[in-house]
Amino acid sequence: MSAVTVLGTPAQTQTNSTAEVLLDVRAISKSFGDRVVLRDMSMRVHAGEVVAFLGANGSGKSTTLRAVNGLIEADSGDITIAGVRLTEASAQRRAEARRTAATVFQKIHLVQRRTVLQNVCAGGFSRLSAWRSLPPLFPRALKEEAMACLDRVGLADRAHDRAGSLSGGQQQRVAIARALCQRPRMILADEPVSALDPKAADDVMSLLHELAVEENLGVAAVLHQPHLARSYAHRVIGLRDGGLVFDAPTADIDDIELASLYL
Amino acid sequence: MTDTLTPAALREPRSDDHIPVPRDPKAPYRAGTWTAIIVVLVVLHLLAFSATDFHPAKLLTGAQGMVNFLAEAIPPDLSPEVLQKGLEGALTTLWIGLLGTTISVPFALLLAVLGARTTAPNTFVYQVARGILSFFRAVPDIVFALIFVTAVGLGPFAGVLALICHNTGVMGKLWSEAMEDIDPGPEQALRTAGASRWQVVANATIPTVLPQLTGLLLYRFDVNVRSSLVLGLVGAGGIGLLINKAIKTFQFDEMLTYLIIILVVIVAVDLASGWIRKRLQ
Repeated sequence: MSAVTVLGTPAQTQTNSTAEVLLDVRAISKSFGDRVVLRDMSMRVHAGEVVAFLGANGSGKSTTLRAVNGLIEADSGDITIAGVRLTEASAQRRAEARRTAATVFQKIHLVQRRTVLQNVCAGGFSRLSAWRSLPPLFPRALKEEAMACLDRVGLADRAHDRAGSLSGGQQQRVAIARALCQRPRMILADEPVSALDPKAADDVMSLLHELAVEENLGVAAVLHQPHLARSYAHRVIGLRDGGLVFDAPTADIDDIELASLYL
Repeated sequence: MTDTLTPAALREPRSDDHIPVPRDPKAPYRAGTWTAIIVVLVVLHLLAFSATDFHPAKLLTGAQGMVNFLAEAIPPDLSPEVLQKGLEGALTTLWIGLLGTTISVPFALLLAVLGARTTAPNTFVYQVARGILSFFRAVPDIVFALIFVTAVGLGPFAGVLALICHNTGVMGKLWSEAMEDIDPGPEQALRTAGASRWQVVANATIPTVLPQLTGLLLYRFDVNVRSSLVLGLVGAGGIGLLINKAIKTFQFDEMLTYLIIILVVIVAVDLASGWIRKRLQ
């Protein structure tokens, strides 16, 4: 999981343009009162690629992700997740489609007093009947699947520790394991490393990169550090004032374009 | 050379070290607000003094009555029969408080979940749950006790039922507020992962808020033991009933024994629940 293996080499793992489109956002807009936070935002996420969202605070990066995972609804425009066009789908189909995209949060949002394994199991709740949804009643199959997800993020040995006893970087990896237990096609990461120290941030980003490349997941990550986007993203989407500024392979973006986002 | 700085070591003030403080435009407004608050409080207290016949002088002139009363109470009657009756009564009081607290847990929990803004399924259910909690909270436990005495007769059972009702209202309200106050992040994370409302409550809300719920439960146990004492006075059994009987038969020395026993029990409960609550933090 060393950062060195991917540093400066995103071009080598560049996705081909024929990869499956997992997320297709078309011209979505969103306002809160008079304040326009997104205008005609369009973007795509393919299987097997890491897409980084860059932009100043309030540029609409997180809002785009939240419109995808359903924490907010866009005022206009179209979102297609895993082939399901949300505006045309029934409420149930819409919820199912959104479940194929698992969200990882800046503040991690694990249940601190539950064990790591119990937290990861929560990713599978949508497949679980109501009466088995308490830790002593979790089915063995779910717990074993959760163990495999934990193993994937390198924390299988911490399964029975309380989530709150882990470091920030470890907790974020547990949150990624919880996301994996959701059996997603895509991971939406809203500033996943903003609360972490540089080493932990590298660990988490290289894990997300690995998951994209090795497991063919689509990863959309809001980042605040352009150098992390350079190291780990295949493609960078730049936003300013709620609108798209550029959308290009990481290798094609220069520092001037990046700096222009924060003017 | 000393390690500490003496005033002499500080630099001399320069002439430009002082800047006049600008006039605070809100100062008269603040002074006016404070004056108004004080005037209102004084007026309210004057009204309250006259409405409650608050005359401290009366207390002095009537002091003889209290002295006589105490003279009869001291020394307390420490005979084995009285002590045994008192301890048995105190134990009953403790059991009433315990059952009144624990049996209300499922009701309080259900109403708290339905009556917390963050976990209620919709505003209608939320309002209904709040309404039920308000009702149980507004009716004093002593009124519930009088009602239940007419159904199940005098005795501890009526006291337990009364405490269950009142405590459901108070503890449900306290618990729902604790649930509203926690960080909504883990709940949000589970919801976006596709968890149902019940799954979110059982696996994010309750585990997160459990220490607060337990602390409030112990606090309510503490209060309920003291309430069950008062309920005893109206016939719900326990040591309160013994005190009532002792007063009615002018056995003031016996009454004092019971009061001392109560004091010990209440201090013990208070210390125990305080100790456990501290452990929870």
